[in-house]
Amino acid sequence: MLRTEINELLTQTGPGTPMGELFRRYWQPVLLAEELPENDCPPVRVKVLSERLIAFRDSSGRYGLMDEFCAHRGASLWFGRNEENGLRCPYHGWKYDVTGQAVDVPSEADNGNFCASVKLKSYPMVKLGDVLFAYLGDPAKQPPLPEWEAYTVPEGQVFTSKRLQECNWLQALEGGIDSSHVTFLHGGNLESDPLFKGSKGNEYNKGDLKPFFEVVDYEGGLLIGARRNAEEDTYYWRVTPWVLPNFTMVPPRGDHPVHGHFWVPIDDENCWAYSFDYHPTRKLTDVEVAAMRAGKGVHSANDAAYRPLANKDNDYLMDREAQRRGETYSGIEGIALQDSSLQESMGPIVDRTKERLVATDAGIIKARQKLRKAALALQEGVEPVGNRPQDQKVRSVAKVLPREQAFVDGIGEAMRAEPGKPHTTV
Amino acid sequence: MFENLSIPVGPSSCAEATTAKEAAFRIDYPLPAARNTRIIALDAEAAEIVRAASELEWGEARFYVTSDPGTELVTMDGETVALEGEIAESNTLVMVSVSGENAAAMAHLGEVCYNQGIMTAGLAMTPGDLDSDALHHLRPHARVLLVPAEPDDLVELLWATRA
Repeated sequence: MLRTEINELLTQTGPGTPMGELFRRYWQPVLLAEELPENDCPPVRVKVLSERLIAFRDSSGRYGLMDEFCAHRGASLWFGRNEENGLRCPYHGWKYDVTGQAVDVPSEADNGNFCASVKLKSYPMVKLGDVLFAYLGDPAKQPPLPEWEAYTVPEGQVFTSKRLQECNWLQALEGGIDSSHVTFLHGGNLESDPLFKGSKGNEYNKGDLKPFFEVVDYEGGLLIGARRNAEEDTYYWRVTPWVLPNFTMVPPRGDHPVHGHFWVPIDDENCWAYSFDYHPTRKLTDVEVAAMRAGKGVHSANDAAYRPLANKDNDYLMDREAQRRGETYSGIEGIALQDSSLQESMGPIVDRTKERLVATDAGIIKARQKLRKAALALQEGVEPVGNRPQDQKVRSVAKVLPREQAFVDGIGEAMRAEPGKPHTTV
Repeated sequence: MFENLSIPVGPSSCAEATTAKEAAFRIDYPLPAARNTRIIALDAEAAEIVRAASELEWGEARFYVTSDPGTELVTMDGETVALEGEIAESNTLVMVSVSGENAAAMAHLGEVCYNQGIMTAGLAMTPGDLDSDALHHLRPHARVLLVPAEPDDLVELLWATRA
């Protein structure tokens, strides 16, 4: 349960809100690189943290992210002409470079001087791996570029998809750190999904349906360990990292790629799930990438606007027969849609004053506490964690350990990302 | 991927049901009584934390201190009571440990709760310390463990679970 004012604090991320200010201390995914595939390609509308922006890639390959609307009359620059190192409004020809600076106002006699006085608000945007990250905060507080392992591995070792989720970002995030739902909602997928099946860990998962949980406070966020009985004197541990404010990873299975998510607020009632798979030591195979594109694993099959083909307008293609047969627990196909269908069913912003949390929700309770404290501390001038490279070089881990061993000790350096180091998996 | 699925015909129930407007029609009624949570301190420092929490307003939560072998509890008023009677109506037991003392009591509490189907949670109140006796002694007996927990984690947990 949360009080109304705390629920509002955590769910509102627009400019000037405490949580919005917290988010504006982090580089966030705002586009897939494929959305701006070449120089002078069409511009793309971006809505993030309740701000309407336009993104483009100029003739020199530079990325721009700025106010969507022309300073002159407020027309959308989505209609703009992307040409000769700038985006030109087709209404009266005003042209802007990637920093939002006007570089040509052809209707003005004093073109040069007037141009210098016109600048749209803009934000830095960079390509890392197959994702474009942007920083929407105070330039004086801009952190180093993110060093998530998925976006530092060599080309061919990462695949990222994005999916519209039609609910507040916190509902989606909480699904990412809620290990106790996996046994139920996703239980049918462990041996059928090509990106999960065949691991020894799956046997442990299915052999112990009542895991124990340890929620470990660490500097960048939380480590949520789920332990199940393995052999007589060992436990099977699955360790999920959450890094403030919106990054989660899923523990690996066998030699499959490792996956995770960024839950990025679009506005207070919608978010993007940026879902990645990467392998730290090898290229993804064609078969794996094909499965990811087809919506397997943590991905979904989407339309051209990245809205899942199975969505609330078609009842997520609910299949009651598959539910009855036990092929899927909820009747919805695919892990991503199994999650989002239920999270969207809670409403755009769930009323957390009505919920009945239990002790196994301790990870969610602790994450909310850390988010609230971080947002309020920032109001007092205390800078947050999670935006530093040392917080981001984290891995999820699956490992069998002696029963008497603390998982934080047992996994040791396995949770620390290092180039070329195999991941620790079962 | 989508072959052979039974696609619903007619207006989608999910699209209509998930709007903010529809959320306003959810039945609004008082929630049932709070959880019957029992909070047990296992050493002197933990007792201070538990006592501070007990002074806040709670629903059905009750607060105690115990030591080995854990068959008896001491209330915040200093009354000694039998464990079995105090947890008979409980559905959650929270163990709080700082020093890791009274491991036998933890084991006894865990065993009784296991046999009676009562959820157990453990808070290893060892700020900054990821490896402690409190952690090692609580781990086998707590289905959920917070490591390392801070004093306000107890209040947060109880508040969030409507204790």
